[in-house]
Amino acid sequence: MLKYALRRGVLALLVAFTVSVATFFLLNFATDPAQALAGEDAPPEVVEQIRAQFGLDRPLVVQYASWIGALAHGDLGQSYHWRSPVGALIASHAPVTIRLALLAMAVTIGVAIPLGAIAALRPNSIVDRLALSVAVGAQAIPNFWLGLMLIILLAVKFPIFPVSGDTTWMHFVLPALVLGASSVPAVMRLTRTGLLDVLASDYIRTARSKGFRGLRLLTRHAMRNAMLPVVSVLAVQLGAKLGGSVIVESVFALNGLGRLALQSILGGDIPTVQILVFVFALTFVILTFLADLLNAWIDPRIRLG
Amino acid sequence: MKSTWNRCRSVLATAAVAAAVALPGAAGAAKSDDTLVVALQRGITSVDYLYTTKREYIILSELTDDGLFDVDPETLRIRGLAAKSWHQVDDTTIDVQVRDGIKFHDGSPLTADDVVYTYNWVLDPKSNANRSRQFAEWLASVTKTGPMSVRFKMKYPYPLALRAMGASMPLRKKSTYDGAAASGSKPLGQTLNGIGPYKVVSVEPGRKTVIERFDGYYRDSPKGRPAIRRMVFREIPDWGTQEAELMSGGVQWMYDVPYDIASTLGSSPVASALNGPSLRVGFIVLDAAGLSGKDNPLTKLAVRRAIIHAINREAIVKSIVKGDAQVIDSACHPAQFGCTQDVMKYPYDPAKARELLKSAGYPKGFTFDLWAYREKDSAEAIAADLAKVGITARLRFVQLATLDQARKKHEIQSYFGSWGSGSVADTAAIADVHWSATTDRNMSGDKQVTEYMIGAQKTVDPAKRAELYAKGLRLIAEKAYWVPLYTFSLNYLVSKELDFTPPKDGMPRLYLAKWK
Repeated sequence: MLKYALRRGVLALLVAFTVSVATFFLLNFATDPAQALAGEDAPPEVVEQIRAQFGLDRPLVVQYASWIGALAHGDLGQSYHWRSPVGALIASHAPVTIRLALLAMAVTIGVAIPLGAIAALRPNSIVDRLALSVAVGAQAIPNFWLGLMLIILLAVKFPIFPVSGDTTWMHFVLPALVLGASSVPAVMRLTRTGLLDVLASDYIRTARSKGFRGLRLLTRHAMRNAMLPVVSVLAVQLGAKLGGSVIVESVFALNGLGRLALQSILGGDIPTVQILVFVFALTFVILTFLADLLNAWIDPRIRLG
Repeated sequence: MKSTWNRCRSVLATAAVAAAVALPGAAGAAKSDDTLVVALQRGITSVDYLYTTKREYIILSELTDDGLFDVDPETLRIRGLAAKSWHQVDDTTIDVQVRDGIKFHDGSPLTADDVVYTYNWVLDPKSNANRSRQFAEWLASVTKTGPMSVRFKMKYPYPLALRAMGASMPLRKKSTYDGAAASGSKPLGQTLNGIGPYKVVSVEPGRKTVIERFDGYYRDSPKGRPAIRRMVFREIPDWGTQEAELMSGGVQWMYDVPYDIASTLGSSPVASALNGPSLRVGFIVLDAAGLSGKDNPLTKLAVRRAIIHAINREAIVKSIVKGDAQVIDSACHPAQFGCTQDVMKYPYDPAKARELLKSAGYPKGFTFDLWAYREKDSAEAIAADLAKVGITARLRFVQLATLDQARKKHEIQSYFGSWGSGSVADTAAIADVHWSATTDRNMSGDKQVTEYMIGAQKTVDPAKRAELYAKGLRLIAEKAYWVPLYTFSLNYLVSKELDFTPPKDGMPRLYLAKWK
C-alpha cells in the first residue's frame, strides 16, 4: 500500500509540474503580465516600469527557473496583483471553495443517488423517465443561467436568499444548488446503471429468495457494489468543485479559489496562477487516490499495489 | 474583448433580467442607511493610488485622496485643490502655495514637508511607485520654499504639469513609506492616510472596500462636502448579478455597463440608465510608412483615403456602438484641448473609394490584414464595408499582448485601436503615445507629424500649442495616416433614489452624488 501511495504521489507531482510548465508558458505567450497589471491604457513607461519591478523583463526560462527554485525552498512566491504571499492568498480563499464544494456535493449525493435508485428499481417506468428528464435537463442548463434564474426568483422576486456574497451560510444555498445540480446527471445515471447491473446478478436473486425486498435489499446488498463507479465519479466531481467553480463563484460573487484563479489570469498574476494550478492538480490526484482506497474498502476483492 | 460565448451569456443574462424587470423588485434601504453601494467588475486590491493604475482605483482615489490640483468637472479646466495658488515663475519653474487647514485622515495637518516628501518619494526609483518614470521624465526637483510653499523645477517646459500634479499624485504624510523603504517592497495599500473627502474604513481585497465621509475635510475644498455618508465598493464580476443586486436594492451604482444591459434595466421602475461621454476614441492605424513591407498597398495615399471613404462610420455608431458615441474626423477626442475638427473630412462614399482605388492601381481591390483586440463587432462591420469596394480585410482578432508584440516587430499592416487618454481632456494625452518618433504605434513615418504633435507637448503657451496640434492633426487627416472612427460612450445604471450626473470626461466623481 505504501509503495502504491508513493507511486501515486510521484505521479501527482509530475502531473502538477507538467501542468505548471504548460500554464506558465501559455500564459506568457497569451498575455503580457506587465500590461495586464498596468491596465489597457497605461502609458508605455508605466508598463515597462512594472515589467522591470517584477523581473518580467528576464527571459522566460530564467523566470520559470527562479520561480521553481523558490518553490523548492518552500517559497510559494508573492502575488503581483494582490501584493501578498500566494500561500496566504490561497489559504484565505480556500475556505469559501471548500464550503461551497462540500455543500454542492451534499446536494448532488442527496438528489442523484436516491433518484438513480428509484429509476433503477422501476426501469422504463414513468418514474424512470421523469428522473432521466431531470438529469438531461440539469445537464442542458448552463450554470450561469440557472444561477441567474434562482437569483431572480429566490433573491429578487421572493427575497429569501441574498443575491451575492459569501459572508453567511445563507449566501451558499443558491450557489450550492447550482453547482450541485451540474453533477446530478452523471451521478444519477451511473447509480441507475450500476444498480440495474447489480440487481440482475445472481447474489441479488439469492437475496430476494431469502426474503429481502425493497429498501433493505437495496441498501444492504445492491448499493454497496453499485457504488464502486459512483465513488470514483464523486471523487472527480469533488475535485472539479474544489478546483474552483469559476462560473458559479463569479455569478454569486463568492471569493473562492475559482474566482481567485480567474482574477489572477485576467490580472496577469502568474505566481498565483502557477500555485493554483499545482493545488488543483494535486487535489485531483489525491482525491482519485482516496477514491481508490475507498473502493478497496467497499469491495475487498480490489487489491491495491 | 467579447467572445461568442460571452455574447451568448450576455444575451441570455439580458433575457433573464428582462424577465425579472417585469416583476416588481424589492426596494433598497440605501437612502435610509445613507450608504451608497457601488458594483465593480474588478475589485480593489489596494487603496493607494500611487501603486495602482486602473480605472476603478482612480474612481476610489477621487474620493479618498486629493492632489495639489484637479480637473473642474464642469469646465474640464485645471483648478487648485490642495494648492491655494500657484505661479509660473518661468517656463520650467512653478511655485505652489499649499492651502491652510487641510488635515490628513489621522488628524495631522498637511504642510509643505508632506508635499515635498510625496513627490520626492515618487521620483525615487526605489519607491517602486507606478508613475515614477513618468514623473522623472519631466520633473527635475521639488523643494520647500516655506512652511506652506513648494517650488517645482521641470526638465523642460511641460504644459501638462498641473494636470499630472492632480489625481496622479495624491498627497501623503511625511514618512508614510518608511516601512516600505526599509524592506524594499511595494506597500500593501490596505490602509490609507489621505486628505480626500472620504477616509478608508476597511479593505477586503476581492470582496469590498468601505469608505466614510471625513468630517475633518477642509471646508473651502472645490470638491465641496460630500452628501453621502458612506460608500461600499463591492466586487461583483457578473453583469447579471450586478443587475439583480440593483433590482433588489443591494447596489445603487453600476459603471461602464454594456449598452444592451443598460437599456433593458433602464426601462424598469427601479433603475435609471444614464449615458455619458468618455474620452475614449476608436481608430484604425494604417502602415503608411511601409514598415510591414514596401509593397504594402497602404503606403499609397489614395488607398488610405479610399479606406476611410469606404467605411460607413455613422451606421456603425448608430447600430453597434450606440449611446452617446459620435463619429470623429481628427486623431483625438473633440473634447480634448487642441483637438481641432477643422481637418480634411472623408464622408462615406463607396463610389469615390472605388475611384481612388482605381487611380492607385487597384481597380479590383486588394487584400490586407486588419488586426484587432477589442470591438470585434465594429471590426467585422468595417471589414464588410471594405469588401463592398473590393478590399478584403483579413481580420486578425488577437489578445492585446499578441498585437503589441506583432506591432513591435513591424508585422502589422493595420490595427483597430482605442485610447482612453486617462480621461485627460488634452490632445497630449493621446498624441504622446501615438506620434512620438520612438513609439511603434507611429506607423506614419512622417517626421513633420511628430514635430508638430510632440512639439506641442513641450510648448507652454496655449495658443501656440493649439496651433501646433491643429497643424499636426490636419496633416494626419490629409495624409490619412489614421482612420478616425468614433468616440465611445459610457453607460451607467443607477438606483432611482440616487442623483448622479454622468461626467463630461468619463471620470465619475461620486463625491458629487446625492440622494434624491
